[in-house]
Amino acid sequence: MNQGHRYPLFLRQRYRDILGYSALVGMLIGLLIALPAALVVFFPEEGALARVFLTTGLAVLGLSLAVRRLCRPLDGDSLSLDEGATVVVLAWLVAILAGAVPFRAAGLDWTRAIFEATSGWTTTGLSVVDVAAASPLILFFRSLMQLAGGAGLAILMLSALTGPPGVSLSTAEGRAEQLVPNVRQSARLVVLLYACYVAFGILALRLCGMSWFDAVNHAFCALSTGGFSTRPQSIGAWHSPAVEGVTILLMLLGMMNFLIGYALWRGRLRFVARNGEMRLQALLLPLLFLGLLGALTHPLETDLVHRARAALFQAVSALSTTGYATVDPREWSGPGWALLLVAMLIGGGAGSTAGGLKLYRVHALARGLLWQVRALPAPRGLVNQPTLWVGEQRRVLGDGHFRQMGLYAFLYLGAWLAGGCALTAYGHPLAESLFEFASSLGTVGLSVGLTSAAAPDGQLWIQIGGMILGRLEFFVVFAGLLKLARDLPLVLSVQANT
Amino acid sequence: MAKQQGESGDRDLVVIVGCGRLGALLAGRLSQAGRRVVVIDRREEAFNLLPAEFSGFRVTGDAVEHEVLRAADLAKAGCLIAVTQKDTLNLMVAQVARLVFAVPRVLARVYDPRKEVFYQRFGIETVSPTELTADALVEAVGLG
Repeated sequence: MNQGHRYPLFLRQRYRDILGYSALVGMLIGLLIALPAALVVFFPEEGALARVFLTTGLAVLGLSLAVRRLCRPLDGDSLSLDEGATVVVLAWLVAILAGAVPFRAAGLDWTRAIFEATSGWTTTGLSVVDVAAASPLILFFRSLMQLAGGAGLAILMLSALTGPPGVSLSTAEGRAEQLVPNVRQSARLVVLLYACYVAFGILALRLCGMSWFDAVNHAFCALSTGGFSTRPQSIGAWHSPAVEGVTILLMLLGMMNFLIGYALWRGRLRFVARNGEMRLQALLLPLLFLGLLGALTHPLETDLVHRARAALFQAVSALSTTGYATVDPREWSGPGWALLLVAMLIGGGAGSTAGGLKLYRVHALARGLLWQVRALPAPRGLVNQPTLWVGEQRRVLGDGHFRQMGLYAFLYLGAWLAGGCALTAYGHPLAESLFEFASSLGTVGLSVGLTSAAAPDGQLWIQIGGMILGRLEFFVVFAGLLKLARDLPLVLSVQANT
Repeated sequence: MAKQQGESGDRDLVVIVGCGRLGALLAGRLSQAGRRVVVIDRREEAFNLLPAEFSGFRVTGDAVEHEVLRAADLAKAGCLIAVTQKDTLNLMVAQVARLVFAVPRVLARVYDPRKEVFYQRFGIETVSPTELTADALVEAVGLG
């Protein structure tokens, strides 16, 4: 054998592993897509659509099984981080494309179907579906996508099936934080915790007067900080303080780092009290609430109680990147928009289902900034580093951490500006464009009306890109695609020769 | 009930002190076998040796400090393995684990075979690479 073929042959073995593990995620995706078909029991008139769900799901499942048979990963082979990134990128492509098929069958064109599927899996909640006219199966499927995308496909797979040992997959999907020092046990605990939240959410919403169907959908979408609703007016349609209260609680649970949820569950309150994310959140939410209270300009909402309800709900909805609305965002005054925009850019907790820059990064960067300012007049020889509580341990924030977080923030804000400016090319004002793209990139779903079925294709594709990059935190997408682009020619060249 | 579940679950927690070549290899294998693993090392860079299979926690700090051992949740661990380069450090950490934290199973690597007797008196299981190598070489020479 030629010396020059050794590396491509090695790569081929690695790609067998990559494809094998991707197929494992594919099986999960197939099952998720087939699941809404079961609802035909309650909605017998939806038989045709149920068949679409079933055939699409089974096709993905069958294809995945076939790939897995061909490329069974060697037992115990683990993946490196960039290989994990490749698996995640491949799996998300499959999820989005296969998830678009039912929407296509329900009458959307491909661009809009893919937009809706992306918005679902990334837990964004921007929609081009006419919710009032959509089939209940479609509505349930949207909620289910958000539920799964919120926890992360890798976490679900690791907890239910098997997967590569190591943390490559969960890290690549932005779910690196573990509850216990073993990735599989941690994944199981996260799914258990998530399931408890969901069960609680469904019951609470049902008790507040929603129908079972609405309760299930809204519990799924509030906890995953997704924000799809079964009504065109979103949560506002119920006009119920109880429903709003429960939804606020669910959104707060969804944006809370699962680590903190686990600590609360075990009664470790001290841990929660000194956690930076919780502290920042405790500072931001009241500020947002007060700011929004003063910024609501709707002439009908002069009643203070109504305004307070709307302000509280919207503050939590924007910061948790859920995107449920009780009043149309267009009814806020300029400062109100600005506050919502800032909240959407900051986002929820790391290791939660939320998007955005994440409270963790914002908190750490703010601490670093303060520290930098304080260090200015200090003696030159002073050795002092800012620290953070991560779990039970005080962690020193080194230059490496700051570089990483600073660069990420730069990339995130740069992408937001670029995308926002690009949307103006479709004839929208700058403010609206920046708002709408912050909503896409942060996987929020609040809309000032730019996203609709009538929106131009190019705009929707820009937003699709924003949602995927925002959900997978940029670098994973870059790493996965670059690796594929570099390796594929080599791998294929061997296949042609042998 | 949740608490009990957590505590019985933590009995499969293994704390490894020293993330050198052996510590890192061990951590990877135990992780892969599904155990909960926490690795302690003084130097952050030492964790670069950890293989991709590892999915446990890393604790940076000196294992002679109680604070560091507590951060590794040693009180709830089912097993401690001391594999730093220094026999004396291994002995000390193992002893603390045994007496202060009451860890059910404590193992240590000992380079110097003459020191093994001290360990055994403290109820610490030992593995001596020196002795193992000697045994293997004697056998190889004898059979060869």
